[in-house]
Parts: sequence; structure tokens; C-alpha cells
Amino acid sequence: MKLYEYEGKEIFSKFGIPIPQGILVNTGKEARQAAISIGKEVVVKSQILTGGRGKAGGIKVAKTPEDAEKIAQDILGMELQGYKVGSLLVEEKLDIANEMYMGITVDDKNGVPIAIISAKGGVEIEEVAQENPEEIASILIDPLYGIRSYEAINLVRQIGLTKEALTSASKILSQLYDLFASYDARMVEINPLVITNEGKMVAADSRCEIDDNSLFKHPEFKDLHIQRIENLWEREGVKGGVNYVDLEGNIAVMANGAGLTMSLLDVVKAGGGSPACFLDAGGGLSRERMKNSVGLLLKKARAEQRIKVILLMVRMMISPPDAVAEGIIEAIKEVEVETPIIAVIRGREPYETRARVLLKNVEKIILYSSVEDGIREAIEMAKE
Amino acid sequence: MAIFVDKDTNVLVQGITGRLGALQTELMLDYGTKIVAGVTPGKGGETQFDIPVYNSVQEAISKHRIDASVVYVPAPFVQDAAFEAIDAGIKFMVIITDWVPLHSEMKIKVYAKNRGTCYIGPNTPGIMIPSQTSLGMISPSAVMPGGVAIVSRSGTLTDEVASHLSEQGIGQSVVVGLGGDAVVGLRMNEVLKLLKQDKQTKCVVIVGEIGGTMEEEAAEYIEAQFNKPVVAYVAGRVAPQGKVMGHAGAIITGARGMAESKISAFKSAGIPVAETLWEIPTLVEKMV
Repeated sequence: MKLYEYEGKEIFSKFGIPIPQGILVNTGKEARQAAISIGKEVVVKSQILTGGRGKAGGIKVAKTPEDAEKIAQDILGMELQGYKVGSLLVEEKLDIANEMYMGITVDDKNGVPIAIISAKGGVEIEEVAQENPEEIASILIDPLYGIRSYEAINLVRQIGLTKEALTSASKILSQLYDLFASYDARMVEINPLVITNEGKMVAADSRCEIDDNSLFKHPEFKDLHIQRIENLWEREGVKGGVNYVDLEGNIAVMANGAGLTMSLLDVVKAGGGSPACFLDAGGGLSRERMKNSVGLLLKKARAEQRIKVILLMVRMMISPPDAVAEGIIEAIKEVEVETPIIAVIRGREPYETRARVLLKNVEKIILYSSVEDGIREAIEMAKE
Repeated sequence: MAIFVDKDTNVLVQGITGRLGALQTELMLDYGTKIVAGVTPGKGGETQFDIPVYNSVQEAISKHRIDASVVYVPAPFVQDAAFEAIDAGIKFMVIITDWVPLHSEMKIKVYAKNRGTCYIGPNTPGIMIPSQTSLGMISPSAVMPGGVAIVSRSGTLTDEVASHLSEQGIGQSVVVGLGGDAVVGLRMNEVLKLLKQDKQTKCVVIVGEIGGTMEEEAAEYIEAQFNKPVVAYVAGRVAPQGKVMGHAGAIITGARGMAESKISAFKSAGIPVAETLWEIPTLVEKMV
């Protein structure tokens, strides 16, 4: 789950990381008030859950409260990289002497946290890594102990910081790690970490992403997570306990297991078909999850005429066949729509045979035991 | 011995009385897995399918020789269960549980490494040596004994690939799912190193998917040091950027982790890449 900049900064502040003075607003009038109360030049920043806001026109400097109001009115409601702007952060404009980068994420190869810093901030760290790798320093962190202060100092030293900048940056890095661990983050990033003309270090931006599997430990985010999913079907998916990604095509694709679902999408596409979605119903299927999954696709087919066929594959490993079949049948009874369902059922015996028997004479279902044939038929049906 | 486990491996089930643990224990017993004990705190002294249940791993280990543990405890308790098994000296673990917190996964990784325990998972279908033993949920009807090792990052897809091979009369030496999350125990390279020595294994099928760099590392290792034919398959060619496709491992950020990167790594290492599931057995037949 991604956090908004203002939320990340609230957490930064809790952990002692300096942030600019700022106020969250939802209207032009509030932006004007905020600028007045800050009492100097401000930056008006759109709050959306993606990067590249500046380039897209979502961050602007306002010299006066009147400017702030006008800019806010322009930006609010704008669509930036597919996200609608609903709120703005009005912040004091910093006197920037230098911009750094600091971030912590998970190192894929070693499976431990990695802290990355660079004297070159304000741009994508991937670009710096490609063009000026010598300007980046990183360190792997032992998750059982966290980062030790001397490790932080040694890291910061490598990008040439000295004196107060060295101690400030290493302290912020330790605070950022504490936050990363406490909030079960997948990644936290300060970009840029500004050094002001007075020599102070301030987090001018924040990016935080919390691990979805850890949301049970952070109930304050759990409901927000669902509310924030903009796509109706994707939100329904999360509510139903399944993984759903909306796509553009006309064949609604569903299977149990991410790898299997992805490989169905690949073959549908390669065969000239066009997937309307990715739905992974997950392992160890219950009747309810099966019903939610099939129900979601049927509702989508009812709402969107372009969906021609539903392609459903269940690989029976441990899912009880009666639960799987009953879930499918209940969904069909509940959501009335003509869309045919191609069902490929395979796996552990006698589960496979049992599920097949239960689904044999169900209206709208066309059973297949070969994946290849099932997919081919789905592509054919979608053409008509 | 095959890799990691065989018919003589004595197995402990952590979380043996839970819904999933109990269901899968029964299925493993049916297959012939030598489950000698189970653990559920507070249920010590009871039995489950005639298997004695203990309050802790230490208690179980004081009564039985245990070679491997299968972990079914719910996600919030997995870290503790894994630490417990590692502390008790168990050298091979299979963590089946899905939705395990990322930071727990990182801690288990380091704790196990420091103390010399190998594990697969979390979020894995487990490991199966056809006709010998099964630690996890791979379908007996999908496999048959033979010379092909399947090394996969998926769950149901692993089972499906095994079926496609078996349906063409191609048996397997081992079928192993490494887990679908971003941080897992054994990586493909580490399994390949063991398969290199394994007499039973004549050919390897790698089932990869988007996210991470495991497949690229495997391709590099195979080109430099591996001595047996390999066939690869990569799921997620059409996955959109930035979307989590099912599990946390399968997310594309930037160019890293994309299917093209993995496919071209395999191809430039001289490894044939199957376009579809049903092409896998055809390629295997050509290689062997």
C-alpha cells in the first residue's frame, strides 16, 4: 500500500526526521489560508500516489496567497498520470543549497533491507545508478539488528559528506530505518533530502509503501487501503480476498494461483485474444472465495458489454471439489448474465473428477480438460 | 538420497491441528510421507491421525529423530515457528503459509542462514520426490518418477507443468516450488547446485515468472557451470508494469524483473524457452 506524501511526512515527523512546514488543503480558499499562515513563498503540491508530479504540472511555486489559491484551483481535479488530484499539500518553499537522495528498500538477491544514498537527489535514483554509479553508495542491513550508527556514518562518508552534514544525514538514515522497520515498509524514500542555505537537512518529499501482508499490524491503514483503490473491480477483488487487475480486452481470465493466471493471459494474448482482466483466486479455495471470484467476473460481464466470454481455470491441489463447484454454481445463480463460462478443471484425483461431475450439466458452463483447447475455444468465442 | 528429502525423511508438521495443517497432513500421509510428529502449542499429548502432537518443537525433537519440518501456522506466527524450528536444530524447512509479512521473511532468511538451516517458501506448494515423499501439496496424480527436475517459483503452475510432462510420459526426479514472494529461502541457483550432483536428475525445467532477478542469476550460473540440459518457461509476458500480479514477488518495477529480461537471459545462455505450457514436454524430449 502506497502512502500519500503528506502521510509519509507525518510519519517522518514522528520519527524525528525534519520536514517543511506544510498544510493539507482541499480547496483554493484553503490553499490561500494556508499560504497566509505559513507567511512566505509556498509550493503547492498535488497529492497523488505516483511519482513524476513535477514534470506533469502537479507541483507549482506560489509567490503570494492569491497565487496559491489560483494554482490550487487549477490543479485540483486535474488528472495526472491517470490519478485524479483530490488534495494538495501547501508547504513553505525551501532555500535549497543542495539536494540529496536517501532510500531504504528490499534487496532482492540477498533478501535483506538495503539503504541507498546519493549526493545527487531530485531525480530518479535509477537514472543516477545508470549514468553516475559512482555517486551512489549503499549498504545491506541485518534485519535482526537494524542499522548501527557507525554503519550509517560510514555509508554517508562515502558520498563525501563531512562535519554537520555527515552527522545529520547519518542520524536521518537511522530514523528512516526505524520507520521502515516499525511500519513494515517495502520501501521508504526521501527524494530530495534538501540541504538548505542555512545548512539544515529537510525531507522535501516522501515516498512510503507498506507491505500489504503486514496491514493486519497497522489497522489505521487497513480500511484506507481498500478505499484508495480507484478501479471498482479491483476494489471488489480486494474485498473478496482475491488478486484482481483490470485490463482492456474482452476475455475475462481467472485461475487459482498467480503464476498459472499469468500464463493463461500470456497464451490468450499470443493466440490473438485479448484479456479483460487478471483474477487470481488464490490457493486453498473456499466456497466463498470461489463464489466471490466468479461473481466478480459475472458482474463485470453484466456491466461491460464487451466481455464475450469468461475463461476460468481451477488447478485442484487441496481445494475441496465440492466447495469449488458450489461456489461457481452459486455465483451463476446470483448474477444473471448470458456470458458463457469456459471452465478448465485439472489436478489432483479424485478431486478433478468430482468437480467435473458437479459442474457437468450446469447451464452456461462449457467444461474442458485440456488448457490448450479451453483457451482456443475462448479466443474463438471472443471473436464472434 | 534425492535432493533435500527422500522416503526415509522423518517429517514434523508445525500447525498440525489447524484447518490447512490437518487437511494436508492427511494427504501427505496418504502419499507415504513419514510424518512422525506434530506441534501445536496447547495441544501437546493429543494425537492427529495417530501422529503424536507436542507443545513445542523442542519437545517433539526430544522424542523423535526429525529431519525436516513443514510449517502451516498462520502468517502472523510464521516467524516465531521458523525461529523455533531453526533453534531446535532442524536443517530443512518447508514454509507453506501464504501472506507472510515481508519483514518476517527477511528475518527468517538471516536467522536460517546464520544457523545453517535451508528452507523453501514461504508461499510454496512444497517439494515432492515422486513415489518417495511429499512435503506440501503437490498433486500425486500430476507426477510420476523419472529424470526431470522441476524448479519453479509458482504454486498451481508447478503442478500444471508436472501434469504436462507426466501426460507425455516424462517422469520427474523432484518437483519443487521455491515460493512466490519477493523474499524466499532457497533460490534457483542453490537448488541447481544440488541438482548438478543428483544422479537421478537428467534434465531441469525452470518455471520462472516476472519480478526479481532469480531467473537471470540462474541463466548466468547454468551457462558458466551447469552440466545438464535445461528448459525454461517464464510466466507474465503480458503483465502490466507497476501492478502486483497476485503475489508480492510478481511486480515489475522499471526494466527489472520483466519477462523479456528473463527470456533473453535464458536464450543468450543457450537455454530453450517454451512459449506455452504444452511446449515444455516437446522441448524436454528434444534435449534428452
